Parts: sequence; C-alpha cells; structure tokens
Amino acid sequence: MLEILKDTKIDFMGNRRIWMGISAFLVAASLIVLPIRGINLGIEFTGGAEVQVKCADPPDLGKVRAALKSAGLSSNLVTTIGDPKENELYIRLGSEAAETKEQDLTSALTQALRAATGWTGAEGRIDLNAADAATVEQLLEGFPDITRADAQALAAAISEERRKVAVLRSLDALTGLDKMTPQVMEYLRSRAVVGPFAIRSQSYIGPTVGRELLQKAFWAVLGSLVGMLAYIGFRFHFRWGVAAVLALVHDTIVTLGFFSLFGREMSLPVVAAFLTLIGYSTNDTVVVFDRIRENLRMRGAADLSAIINLSINQTLSRTILTSGLTWLVVLALFFLAGEPLNPFSFVLVIGIVVGSYSSIYIASPILVLWQQFLDRRKGARKGSPPSPKASPEKKARKVRTA
Amino acid sequence: MSKSLAWKITLILVVTGISVFFAYPLQEKISLGLDLRGGSHIVMQVETSSAIKYEMDLTQSRLGQALKDGGLSYAAVTSSQPTVLEVKGTDPARRADVRKLIDDYVGQWQVSDLGAGSFRAVMPLEIRSAIEKNAVETTLTTIRSRIDELGVREPIVQKQGTQGDRILIQLPGVEDPTRAKQVMQDPALLEWKAVTYPAGVTDFGSWRPPDSKEAVAALFGGTVPDDTELYPERVPSQDGGTFTLWWPLKKVSTIVGNDLRSARRGQQTFGEPSVDFTLTRDAGRRFEAATRENVGRKMAIVLGGVQNKQVVSAPVIRSVIRDSGVIEGGFDVQSAEDLALKLRSGAIPTDVTIIEERTVGPSLGRDSIRNGVIASLAGFLAIMGFMLVYYRFSGVNAVVALALNVVILLGAMGYFGATLTLPGIAGLILTVGMAVDSNVLIFERIREELRLGKTVRSAVDQGFSRAFLTIVDCHITTLTSAFFLFTYGTGPVRGFAVTLIIGLIASMFTAVFVSKVIFDIVLGRGRRVESLSI
Repeated sequence: MLEILKDTKIDFMGNRRIWMGISAFLVAASLIVLPIRGINLGIEFTGGAEVQVKCADPPDLGKVRAALKSAGLSSNLVTTIGDPKENELYIRLGSEAAETKEQDLTSALTQALRAATGWTGAEGRIDLNAADAATVEQLLEGFPDITRADAQALAAAISEERRKVAVLRSLDALTGLDKMTPQVMEYLRSRAVVGPFAIRSQSYIGPTVGRELLQKAFWAVLGSLVGMLAYIGFRFHFRWGVAAVLALVHDTIVTLGFFSLFGREMSLPVVAAFLTLIGYSTNDTVVVFDRIRENLRMRGAADLSAIINLSINQTLSRTILTSGLTWLVVLALFFLAGEPLNPFSFVLVIGIVVGSYSSIYIASPILVLWQQFLDRRKGARKGSPPSPKASPEKKARKVRTA
Repeated sequence: MSKSLAWKITLILVVTGISVFFAYPLQEKISLGLDLRGGSHIVMQVETSSAIKYEMDLTQSRLGQALKDGGLSYAAVTSSQPTVLEVKGTDPARRADVRKLIDDYVGQWQVSDLGAGSFRAVMPLEIRSAIEKNAVETTLTTIRSRIDELGVREPIVQKQGTQGDRILIQLPGVEDPTRAKQVMQDPALLEWKAVTYPAGVTDFGSWRPPDSKEAVAALFGGTVPDDTELYPERVPSQDGGTFTLWWPLKKVSTIVGNDLRSARRGQQTFGEPSVDFTLTRDAGRRFEAATRENVGRKMAIVLGGVQNKQVVSAPVIRSVIRDSGVIEGGFDVQSAEDLALKLRSGAIPTDVTIIEERTVGPSLGRDSIRNGVIASLAGFLAIMGFMLVYYRFSGVNAVVALALNVVILLGAMGYFGATLTLPGIAGLILTVGMAVDSNVLIFERIREELRLGKTVRSAVDQGFSRAFLTIVDCHITTLTSAFFLFTYGTGPVRGFAVTLIIGLIASMFTAVFVSKVIFDIVLGRGRRVESLSI
C-alpha cells in the first residue's frame, strides 16, 4: 500500500494559536491591501469598452493613444499582451467613456485603430481581416465564373486560413488555397484588401449592466454563504455552521487579498471562481465535521479538543490527496488554458490551498473555542455534551418546529 | 453473479449507452458558445418609456385635430406628465360636447372635468403596460426578421431580464457587428408629413427652408405655428461637407410606418438606386386624400425613432398617389437595400439601446478551444496517473468511474442542448477534480477499515456506507454554491454552472454506485478474498 501519510498524530488543536495568529495576520493584511491596491474591476463591472486585436506589424502604442485621443475616446489602458512577437494589442476604455458616449463605442474604437495604423481605407473594397465568412461568400459569388459550391468552399477555406494565422498579412497568403484560381485571385485583388489588424475580441458593457452585475455578484456570494450556513446548521449544528462560514469568509478575504495584490482583473468568470471556491472549501470542512460528529457519537464528548485532533488526523490524508489532485487540475488550467481563463484559475490556485488549510485551522478551532466559552459561562454544568443531537439548542429548535 | 448485481450492471450499461447516444459525435451534439466558435453577443434595452411617449404624442396631436374637426375651440392640449393629457380653454358652454368627444376619442382612459373648460385624461396602467409589452414584442419580431434578412446562420433572438424588456441577440460567425447593430437599432419609423409653408410663399414646388431653426422661425414671424414642428434634413454641400435644412412640417403625420405593405430597392431612370414601396389599402385612401390636397406642394418623408427623426427627402407631389410610391434621395445600393429591408421588416416602435456587446473573432475561439482541451487533458492525465499509482487496482476502478462521469456529463449536455463555453471547459475538468474526491474518501475509509483488521468484503462495505453521508453532504454544499452561480451568471458563466451541476450529480452515481458495483464484481465470485489492491 502506497501511503503519503501513515497514522499521523499531529496536535492540530495544541498549536492552533500560532495558526490562528497567522490567519488573523493574513486577513488583516488582506483588509489593508484591499483598500490600498483596490480591485482591478474589468469593464463588466465598471462599464466601458475593450478590444483585443492582432496586428500584422508591431503596433506603435504612442500613435494608438494619439489616435484615440483625437477620436475623443478616453482610454485608460493601451498595452500589448502576451508574447511581444505576437503583436497583440489590448485597449480598454473606462467607465467615463460608457457614461458619456452615445455613439457605438466598439466601432469608434476600431475606426480609431485604423487611423492609428495609417490605413487609408478600403475605398469600397472588402477588408478580409474583418469580413465574416458570409460576406466573403457574397463577394466570391459576384465573380462570374465560379459555382456557388466553389464560392462557399473557398470562403470557408479563407475563414479557416484566418482562423489559423489570426491576421492575414497579404492577399498572397490565399494563393495556395484549394479552388483558388489565378482569375479568382485577380478578382479578389480588385475587390478586397487585407487590413492592418484583425479583431480577436471586442466588448462593450453599458454602465447600468455593470452596476447590476456588481450587485448580483455581491448577492450571489452572500446568498451562497447563507446557504452554507443554513445547510451545515441543519445537518450539524448552528454553531458548526457559523464556524464553517467564518472559515469561508476567511478564505474569501485572503484570496481576494492575493487577487488585489497581484492586480488581476475582476471579471464574471472570476466571480464564478469565488463561488466555486466557497463550495469547494465547504466540502473540506464538511468532511472534517462529519468525522468529528462520528467520533463524538462513538467516543463521547469528554475532550472535544482531542476528538477534533483525532478526526483531523484521520481525514488528513484524504484532505491532502483531494486538495492536491484538484490543485493539479487548477494548475494545469493556470499554466496551459491560456489568457482568458488565467484570472479564474488564479483564484482557485490560491483558494484551494487556503480553503483546505482553513477547514483544519479555522473552522475546527472555532468549535473548540466556542465550546470552551460555553463551558466557562455555564460554570457548574461543566462538560455539557457538545454532540449536536444532545445540545439544548437543537432540542429547543425541534420543539419549536414541532 | 447475484441477480441484483446483474441488474445494476445492466443499469450502468444502459446509462452509458444513452449518454454515448446523446454525446456522439461530439461536434454535432454539443453546441459551442460564441466565446469558442466566434460571433457576436448583443443585449439591447427596449426603452419602453419611449413607446408610451410616442403613443402620447400621437394622441395629443390627433385629439387636437379631432377637436378642431368637431368645431370645438380650445386653447391647448398639453402633456404635463408622461401619461397625462390636459385639454385647456374649451368653451364652458359646450362642456358636454367636449367631454363626449374626448371620451370617445381616448376610449378607456380616465377623463375628469377640471372645470373652467379644462379636462384631464389619464392613460390607465393596463393600457400602459399593454403598450410596453407590445413594444417589446414588436421589437423582438422586427429584430428577428431583420436579422433573418441579413442572412446570419442560426441566430438567437430572445427576451431576457427580469423586467422582460431586454433582448438578447446571438449572431454566430459575425465578426464585425457594425452593420448588424445599425440595422437592428434603427427604428425605421416612416412618416409622411405635409409641409407648412410660411405666408407669402408662392412657388410651392421649389421652396426650400433655411439652414437654421431661427431663420425658419423668423419666416413665421418669430414662432412656428402650434401644429408644426421643425425636422432636419442633411444635405451634401458643394465643398464635400454637409449642412442641415430645417423643414417646418405638420405634427400630425399623414401616414406612418405600419401603413406600409412592402418595400424594395428600385432603380431610377439614370440608374440611381431608390426605394419603392406600396401602402395598405386603408392608408392608400388616406394618402390619396392627402396628396390631392397637396398637389404641386412638397411632402416630406421622415424617418427615425421618437427622438431622432430626420427628413430623408421632400419630393413634390406631382399627381395624386394612391397606394405606391418611390423614395429618392442620394442612396447607394447598400443603403437603399438596408432602408428597404428596415421598412419591410416593420418599424421598431420604440428606442432601443445596446447595453452589452461581446464579439469574439474566430482565431481567439480556436486558441481557446485548443488551450482548454490541452489543459483539461493534462489535468485528467495527472489525476488518472496518480490514482493508478497510489491505489493500483482500485485506482483502475476510480479511473473507470471518472471516465464514465465525463461521458454522462457530455451526454446530459447533449440531451439538454447545453452550450459548451470556455469557462464550461474549466467546469468540466474541475468536476473531474471534485468527483475524484468521492473516490478518495471511500478508498481512504476502506484502508482505515482494513487497518482495523476487518475482512476485505466488510471493509469495502463499511467504507462505502460510512463515506456515503459525507459524500452527500459534500455534494449538496457544492451544488448550493453552483446553484447561486447559475442564478448569477449569464452566458459563459452560466455554461460553467451547468457543467458543474450536471457533473456533480453524475459523480454521485459514478463514484458511489458504479465504483461499488465494480468492487462487487471483483469480490463477489463466491471465493474468499484475502487481499485488496488499494
């Protein structure tokens, strides 16, 4: 049997003060970092427009900025992304643009970009770096000596070529295509051009939508926290639910702190990652709690601290294995899945570690602390059973609901 | 093999078969989101208040006209609030007649007599919401037919939002949505209006208004008449720029867009494109009367929404027109085609604004799919490799369960017609990462039971039964957060929530049921099992 951990007897509750201290420090640090660094909200939340284009030649950022300015567009970000050799340009127009502009922002952006790249215009010709397959097909059907099927096939081939190279550098790139004849090529040269860039993605989000999404994100996170509290309160004990949710709040704040520190951009998928994190982290807590409850039933509640220690040790290999495996997956997403999923994976890379840690060092110690507090308050009635089944609150609730 | 085990195996095979049926071949059964296949996603807000305003304006002007036609004098018809009309300064002696005319004219509105010859008419809430609802519906059908005419394949046009006043439009394969946006947003409300000529004009056919509002007002002695409004016409100037003429036109339109029966691009004698149209019979009759009154004079064709009305052209009425006409006015082929398209598909009765727009080009989608698949495969292989090394035979069991999980997930997505998005790919592989948790929980429990000296069979049974409740708890908590994710998300994020939810439910089946059956098959051949490879 291959085992990473064998019969561990770590005194988790014994050194809980150190770890809770570290957690308190991390939470405090996050709460300091958050207002200072702020959260880099994407246009989905602020409203605004963004465009990502692939240029045929290295873009001149200064010219682009100047062109945007003369078009009256207030950009707050003009940058290249990824490998500089890829000539990928990213422009973001902030919320002011969305609030004040009534014009079609994304179209205005591409216009300005055309101006910046010194493109004199297509003069009625079709830009193959911007036209979709349907338009190209229409264009080709205008050629007298081509069958409809051939025009369709050729249009599809041109689209496929564009999909592969992202931006066509000249019409010559199309000469080798199937069904392409010198005559069709001649016709294309007279009717089409290749523009200096191709749009990889463009978005516009109106200011009202942004505000709505931000509100909805807040309510979704709050809603799922309350959901967790209700479910764990129902399945275990209200106190345990509170402990689990405090651990979740800890996870969310610390991960948010890292997110802010690294200046990653908040987007819809990132909110999704936070919600996933809440579910995943509760998972971990539930496994530990389940074991604590089972051990309480079997061994009585003489020493809660010892029972929690035992339970965590018993589930430790599982915790490390599953968190480790999920972490592997998330790492694969982080390193391999490309730019669009990167901030999403970032949250989970941090969050899974923090979440597993918090089940052990936040949720469980809170149970012990809470019990100690109750014991002290009750004084004489020392050692009242903390088992969920026998606790007075639980009974009281049953009576109420009966 | 016991009878119940045989049934269980059959169930698993049937589920697998059904899943494969719904998922294979993948390219056909699972549709890709716009973020992966490329295309435009647009959300429009229907400004329903502008539909109300349009209705109010129309009632206001036509009520005034009706009073005049009925020989009842009045000082003004005003609208102080969005749904309130006030008629002021009527002759108190003819109160009953005025009241009756207003009542008849506005129908179900609440009319009250304010005394001193003033009346108030309020549009009731039902009519208001009916107009709003109708505005959204008409906009929806209009946009749908305009999109169809643009020739986009497999477009989606549907209502969205809690208020039901948003329209979601998905245009797969459209990379440059500029033209689509223009065509969809244009209200294309066509109106014909008679020109109000200033006093002293004799040459009606060649008269053109001045190029500033003030100059026009001056022609009327400072203020334009009450029944007249100014509308701009952009005219190209000789130096290549444009200037604006301000036409004084009657507020009450002779015909409006809904009166059109058909419109298409036509051609003038010298080949310039124009737009030919025909009217409905009823409108034809009205048009005939109006053109008879205006022979030799100009009538303006006004196009636009509630706010952005513009004069397209102001032709001279040469003869009585009954039910067909031609619009000329500096069109090229494309713009004539577009205008005909918009007129054909009907007017959008209200202003629409784009509140969200996302376009993904095909090359980005292609990169996303490739990277997403590579990352998923890497993650999946890492998990499989680890499980096989760590749990050996039982690892094989887990790998079978996980693979089946993915198959069921894809099958369910195919069945429900769910869309695979980029976050959805992440959800897919993340599900595998979470599903393996159930296997690990069970296997670790079995190991514990074995360590306590139990026999293999009872260790396996105990392992499954003890881990079961924990697994249920875990799944419910994760499903709870996935549920909130689903209600929160739109588009790609919702795709992520869907894969997560289906995957989690499937993993309950595979990790608990399928895994147990595989153990039963291996351990259940009547012989004593001494050891378990775990």
